Amino acid sequence: MSATQPFQISVPQEKIDTLKSKLSQAEFPDELAASGWDLGAPLADVKRLARAWENWDWRQAEERLNKVPQYTTPITVDGFHELNIHFVWQKSEVKNAIPLLFVHGWPGSFLEVLPILPLLAAPGGPAFHIVAPSLPNFGFSSGVKTRGFGAKQYAETCHKLMLSLGYNEYVTQGGDWGFYITRAIGYFYPSHCRASHINMLRADPPTFLKHPTLALQHKLAPYSQKEKDGFARTEWFGKEGRGYFIEQATKPQTLAYALNDSPVALLAWIYEKLHDWTDSHPWTDDEIFTWISIYYFSTAGPGAAHRIYYEFMHPRPDSISREDLHRWIPNVKLGLAYNPKELSVLPKSWCRTLGPVVFESFNESGGHFYATEKPAFLARDLRTMFGKGGGAFKVVKGKSGYDRTPRAYPAKL
Amino acid sequence: MAAIQKFQFQNSPGGVAKLREKLSQTLFPDELEDATWDYGVPLQDVKRVAAYWRDDFDWKKFEDRINKLPNYKASVTVDGFDPLEIHFVHKRSSKNNAIPLLFLHGWPGSFLEVEKLLPLLINEKQSGGASFHIVAPSLPNHGFSSGVKSRGFGLSQYSEAMHKLMLSLGYDQFACAGGDWGMCIGRVMSQRFPTSLKVCYYSLVPSTPPSPATPWTFVPFLIKHLLKMYTAAESEGLARSQEFQKTGMGYYQLQTTRPQTIGYLLADSPVGLLAWIYEKLRDWTDNYPWTDEEICTWVSMYWFSTAGPAASVRLYYESLRGEFPTKSGGYVPHVKLGLAYFPKEIFRLPKAWGSSLGEVVFEHEHERGGHFASWEVPEGVAGDLQVMFGKGGGAYGAVKVDKN
Repeated sequence: MSATQPFQISVPQEKIDTLKSKLSQAEFPDELAASGWDLGAPLADVKRLARAWENWDWRQAEERLNKVPQYTTPITVDGFHELNIHFVWQKSEVKNAIPLLFVHGWPGSFLEVLPILPLLAAPGGPAFHIVAPSLPNFGFSSGVKTRGFGAKQYAETCHKLMLSLGYNEYVTQGGDWGFYITRAIGYFYPSHCRASHINMLRADPPTFLKHPTLALQHKLAPYSQKEKDGFARTEWFGKEGRGYFIEQATKPQTLAYALNDSPVALLAWIYEKLHDWTDSHPWTDDEIFTWISIYYFSTAGPGAAHRIYYEFMHPRPDSISREDLHRWIPNVKLGLAYNPKELSVLPKSWCRTLGPVVFESFNESGGHFYATEKPAFLARDLRTMFGKGGGAFKVVKGKSGYDRTPRAYPAKL
Repeated sequence: MAAIQKFQFQNSPGGVAKLREKLSQTLFPDELEDATWDYGVPLQDVKRVAAYWRDDFDWKKFEDRINKLPNYKASVTVDGFDPLEIHFVHKRSSKNNAIPLLFLHGWPGSFLEVEKLLPLLINEKQSGGASFHIVAPSLPNHGFSSGVKSRGFGLSQYSEAMHKLMLSLGYDQFACAGGDWGMCIGRVMSQRFPTSLKVCYYSLVPSTPPSPATPWTFVPFLIKHLLKMYTAAESEGLARSQEFQKTGMGYYQLQTTRPQTIGYLLADSPVGLLAWIYEKLRDWTDNYPWTDEEICTWVSMYWFSTAGPAASVRLYYESLRGEFPTKSGGYVPHVKLGLAYFPKEIFRLPKAWGSSLGEVVFEHEHERGGHFASWEVPEGVAGDLQVMFGKGGGAYGAVKVDKN
């Protein structure tokens, strides 16, 4: 615990100057008439954003972010060099607060936890100690220098982080890579990770052999209209939306050159996802620039983050494959959030094959960046799931989320 | 009739200066300690070529090399689109009855891929071999041809542009040679204009397994497949094709769905473009010993193309749509085919499947070469063409040349 140090973001001025200089000299392609968003991020948007980003004041964003309690701690994962892990840590006043690990994905960051911090700290629900790291290669955590840092290593990093903070048992929240990493944590550390709330649900259809009840339900009940819409969305993503995935999973180094050298390239690359992956979320310029600047100013550099795709798709023998993480993992109580504009929108009967489900929310709106788009829904999910009467109430020994026991026993006389 | 004018390429001094400036300001990513080409282009290679491009690339030599070829431009109008200026190399044989041969490049290639073939094909002294009038254009959106400004310019439009170009040069009947997009455009052209395009030579063969609908080819295929009775070359080719599907399709998936987003990467970062193309030059060839000069020549063709590098990837997007999407065609009648199999092509399928494409009159399994066959093994390609079109060859006399 003594190795944990408070941290304030302080991007060197040189990096800011370089960003502005490169933006001022940016060269743009042309665009086909009437393209809209069909061929990718529209030229008018990217040009406008590039000019605005050049004039944007990073320091005011930095100042704002530094109001949030941040720390770093060294973590060593087996077979790898020591990594400096940056994390947001909001401790509750409530002694029995539930340790909650919030894991971001790509192109997200620790920023995604910020909207729910005040909501989870509000009275009237269980209290949480919230830990939201920058994953290795992202944000202000170290970059990894050798290959093979995949599912097992990301899980180990996060688990060791929680242990180092004194949280032997904890719960998790995640979507995107956060889904995969928290699932891997549940797989590798079932006596520590007691429950997981996930908002990007990847699962297989239930088979009679493994999930007879679900398979029967699946066979008997026709898909609802929402579920059919979900299939359509999932199919759309599979056909139209996976180019970035395949490139990042097969040739991450080739892609790194453009993303590292050109802030416009990075801007377009990420902005496209902010648009395509959300339910018409009204991104402000400030939000966009803060998100993308986290990548541009990251410790590991903007060319490093997407190596996670390659490493997860080439699992080492002692690790776990993505497909395995779509299957039943015992012991870890699950909360599932179904969002209509997520990238994988699958029926209940499929998602319930992931593990022992104790909570579900079915939202009428919202997409991939759940905490950003619908922080109130996510906070509601967590407070319901982990609060009194919730399916994961008291799942962490001795950490109910309340300082007084739920039932009012008469005081001992 | 399209107005044909001679064309002389000139470097843009301002453009070269700006490129050098950008290269000087490049921010390179790091690289994993034990990464190899399996992660993408290695850092030391990109750094080396970028430095060469900035400091040592001979721009005058680049200009001269292009201008050594007989370059022209012609205005071509494809239905539904604004007129395009098409750049092309046009080298005529001294023999009037030579065969008009349309040589089509692909991505990330260029018209320059014809450079090594020209002296081999315009070899008047060789007896028995065929003679050719060669037309090697820059495809629209590539090289020194115009960029297309509106949507819907797919394979059908590319084929129409090329067909109109040949007609404008007085070639009512002609043959076509190509790989990559050159092959795809040839396929569509042979479906749309079978009275003009009589013979195609493909160095990338998009055959499919015989279907149950033709049992006389399907049954032998099934037997061969189940008993794994492919030749060593074919087995290796199948394995390589599968490997390509697994590891080599990222660029394809991106360019067919989000060409504009990719465009920003290619337009603003010269090392971004360099890496994007260099990866293919290495992955798609048979250990071809690319010099830094060659790499920079190929990449400069894109950086300094008339339409800009972003325009070149739009064909991928358009190719999945429109009247003649990539997967269409199957068996194309009336056009004679010459199929060349190169061991390091991105897909290399069993020879027997070739009959799914049309009437195969020539076949050659090469010992060496990959995706850029005309560049890697020009003597192999030239040899094929001369045999195929020469006396006794399968395409001899297929193209009527009396009018030329």
